[in-house]
Amino acid sequence: MIIQAVCFYVFAAVAVASGVMVISARNPVHSVLFLILAFFNAAALFVLLGAEFLAMILVIVYVGAVAVLFLFVVMMLDINFVELRHGFLQYLPIGALIGFILFAELVLVIGYWALAPNIASVLAAPLPATAQVTNTQALGDLLYTRYIYAFQASGIVLLIAMIGAIVLTLRARAGVRRQDSSAQVYRPRAASVEIVKIEVGKGV
Amino acid sequence: MPVVSVPTILPALPEILTVCSAMALLMLGVFRGEGSTRLVSWLAVLALVLVLAVALARGGDRQIGLNGMFITDGFALFMKVLVLIGSAVSIVMAMAYNERERIARFEFPVLVLLATTGMLMMISANDLISLYIGLELQSLALYVVAAFKRDSAQSTEAGLKYFVLGALSSGMLLYGCSLVYGFAGTTNFAGLAAMFAEGNASIGLIIGIVFVSVGLAFKVSAVPFHMWTPDVYEGAPTPVTAFFSVAPKIAAMALFIRFLVEPFGALTAEWRQIIWFISVASMLLGAFAAINQRNIKRLMAYSSIGHVGYALIGLAAGTETGIQGVLIYMAIYLFMNLGTFTVILCMRRDGRMVEAIDDLSGLAKTQPALALALGIFMFSMAGIPPLAGFFSKVWVFLAAIHAGLYVLAVIGVVTSVVGAFYYIRIVKLMYFDEAKGVFDRPIGAEMQAILVVSSVVIMLFFVIPGPLLTSAELAAAALFPG
Amino acid sequence: MAEGDFWSGYALPLVAMVLEILAIVVPLLLVVAYATYAERKVLAAAQLRKGPNVVGPFGLLQPLADGLKLFMKETVIPSGANRVVFAAAPMLTFVLALIAWAVIPFDPGVVLSNINVGILYLFAISSLGVYGIIMAGWASNSKYAFLGALRSAAQMVSYEVSIGFVMVTVLLCAGSLNISDIVLAQRHLWYVIPLLPMAVVFFISGLAETNRSPFDLPEGESELVAGYFVEYSAMTFALFFLGEYANMILVSAMTSILFLGGWLAPFGVPPFTWVPGPIWFFLKIAFCFFCFLWVRATFPRFRYDQLMRLGWKVFLPLSLFWLVLTAAFLTAFGMLPT
Repeated sequence: MIIQAVCFYVFAAVAVASGVMVISARNPVHSVLFLILAFFNAAALFVLLGAEFLAMILVIVYVGAVAVLFLFVVMMLDINFVELRHGFLQYLPIGALIGFILFAELVLVIGYWALAPNIASVLAAPLPATAQVTNTQALGDLLYTRYIYAFQASGIVLLIAMIGAIVLTLRARAGVRRQDSSAQVYRPRAASVEIVKIEVGKGV
Repeated sequence: MPVVSVPTILPALPEILTVCSAMALLMLGVFRGEGSTRLVSWLAVLALVLVLAVALARGGDRQIGLNGMFITDGFALFMKVLVLIGSAVSIVMAMAYNERERIARFEFPVLVLLATTGMLMMISANDLISLYIGLELQSLALYVVAAFKRDSAQSTEAGLKYFVLGALSSGMLLYGCSLVYGFAGTTNFAGLAAMFAEGNASIGLIIGIVFVSVGLAFKVSAVPFHMWTPDVYEGAPTPVTAFFSVAPKIAAMALFIRFLVEPFGALTAEWRQIIWFISVASMLLGAFAAINQRNIKRLMAYSSIGHVGYALIGLAAGTETGIQGVLIYMAIYLFMNLGTFTVILCMRRDGRMVEAIDDLSGLAKTQPALALALGIFMFSMAGIPPLAGFFSKVWVFLAAIHAGLYVLAVIGVVTSVVGAFYYIRIVKLMYFDEAKGVFDRPIGAEMQAILVVSSVVIMLFFVIPGPLLTSAELAAAALFPG
Repeated sequence: MAEGDFWSGYALPLVAMVLEILAIVVPLLLVVAYATYAERKVLAAAQLRKGPNVVGPFGLLQPLADGLKLFMKETVIPSGANRVVFAAAPMLTFVLALIAWAVIPFDPGVVLSNINVGILYLFAISSLGVYGIIMAGWASNSKYAFLGALRSAAQMVSYEVSIGFVMVTVLLCAGSLNISDIVLAQRHLWYVIPLLPMAVVFFISGLAETNRSPFDLPEGESELVAGYFVEYSAMTFALFFLGEYANMILVSAMTSILFLGGWLAPFGVPPFTWVPGPIWFFLKIAFCFFCFLWVRATFPRFRYDQLMRLGWKVFLPLSLFWLVLTAAFLTAFGMLPT
């Protein structure tokens, strides 16, 4: 138990600290690297919760794919963050105001927080006993049966995103010579090699 | 193992058909290449008509499917019919335009189909999750079509603006949803309604409702969340603007109504103030900001903001007649807007689009038929009897009076009078000013058909109002069982 | 807390765990060292040469000599480099290559950590490998290194997609994310037989994932000098080198586990069952590793657009199709594992 508690505090502290570093690091690449660290610690927290499937998916999707692209973009773009921060003070008041409003609302909400007494009865999908099914299976059961509609619809959302990216950016350039592998492979010998008998002393 | 059995999928048949046809057409387009745009477009229209037929054949019985996340009833059917008409007509309108502007790509009808799927899902949402996903599905496709003319700075700007502000509003909506869920413990509309029937509405819930309403108000472009509308309407390609001004608006309005009336029906007194405020603000802004506009698409943007304000009067009433008023309003609005945008699409001189209002001057002398059609639409939008627009306004005002919202009705009448000024100014330009030039002809058979049908509907509505009124009544009644 | 509690509750398990880890890591490093020797010998054989044969009998001490040499050299950090990231990158590569072995079972129950989602863990770790490379390329502050890193990152991300689908196909058949269960599910039939196309896709994607020939564009000697580790020397270079070979062995191990039945004997009858499981496992890994070398000796390097085309336009559709086919087959014939 103690080890678990220690682990929790270590992971949580590192996650928060790296979150702070993400926004305060001077070098944008360092920011992304700290972001990755934060993801990692979040994954570790999932493991502590016993949600190992989510932990692994978090690492695979966010760290293994999304953050790589982030890093890519940040490295390639060479953003001058110092310049970006120029307007920071200018927008600080309004940002602080909005932040304050949201915060006040949260306080208000939490202040009035009272779980409805019959909350257990209205739960859409009660948790299965963790002893019987692994959490991978429990997630799958819900995702592919009860929430199949939302699941499929999110798939369509992603399809649209894909179509959109292609529609808005793909340009068929004129004059590009494309490789046709099958044409190359099926090229007959006669089309490319010619055997010429050259008589001595005459040349080609 | 629990498995979704087939009957629960059946209520969603129209949506499934739409999305499947979209994917099939996408494949067709990819394999046939850019030359297949016209074919894909017509097939998309055919698919929408087919979906319409299926939806009508399935009727307006109240059915809940997909584990309570999806609902069809008379209300949904009515709104779906409107959305499907709007989408189909927009695809037809876009074909010739896209070809002339050299942006004819088969993805356009496919994206419109996918957006339509999103709208149908919004209309049938019976859960906060399906609400959000439907909305996102629709919005994402719309962002792309707004920027569809990707070589034009205006169009990409419109797409980007729409995207950024849309993302912001989605964030608000999600924030609201999470608050609602956190306090109610359920995302299902039926579950929420059951909770509120017991009268436990805490402050967190109210804040949640406010945030969700903000998100939805953005989608229907009601003041004060309308900032994107004029820029997006102006920048987006004209058929896209036509599409934006009808289908998504109707779908978002349907969602707005269902969200407020079904789960939160018990809290009408609370949310009425919000709707009251945005309705008044939209009407005022729509009336006054439009006066100074020089660009007809911007003018239509403000006009649509105003119209949303009028439609929201019915929602503010929160009664069955109020909702019926909104439905009638949206139906007539659909025809007026489609007609007007058809005329705007015909405004091209020497092969280029012109968009200034002044370009319309003297149209009556050069193209009397077009001028007549636009005149009808403008009079109807202004609310001049006996055109359809008059009745739609009367209906919502009456509902407001029945619900005791006298101030709202009075403001509505006053802003209508102000609004009439700029609508009628266009008529004056067309009929009493000197001609500036001739628009290109011919306008195309599809365009003529759209113009004729929509103007006939608007002119003759008062002769046979029965079908629309009864179906709207049935649809509204579906939201107020018992 | 009682003293005995501390010893039996925390300290002893800790010591045991450290010993277990050492029992995996030390042989692994030895194997990695001799993997370089094997590579040189196999390539030499393929090219009708002798290979290392001077240091020790048959050149067997060559890897140790190489290691010693790298250890003695000076670590050079380029002046424009980002020092922290530069130093962290090889360590990351090396550590990632080692920690993946935590879930690899060598025999029934002989596994450091028998977790429920072992295969996902492996996938997650292998998807992290790209960071070492991209960090190295960026921190070196050199064009060659950066180009190599970019190529490598794009390549690894692309091929990970099809690797993921191949894994899902195997999971469908096995019905578990636990690696030991996956191996045991192949008692009657190794998956290489029913899922042969997927096995091929997996192996080729593995080549791309480890930046091996014919997909070794990231380090293409002829164009990028040595790609992302052009600026590395001495121990930092050695760490990269070890990490890379450990990764190759890991991919070989994954191929054995997913398709060749892990520690299982080819036929469940004597005399095959007399040979202990770890030996079988080692032999299978050795076979896969030999294939790596064989490919390197045989094939010319791919062009970058061909590489991307293969990943996205051939493997991805193929693995998706086979996934759907497998799922449909299993459902139709009621063979879904429960």
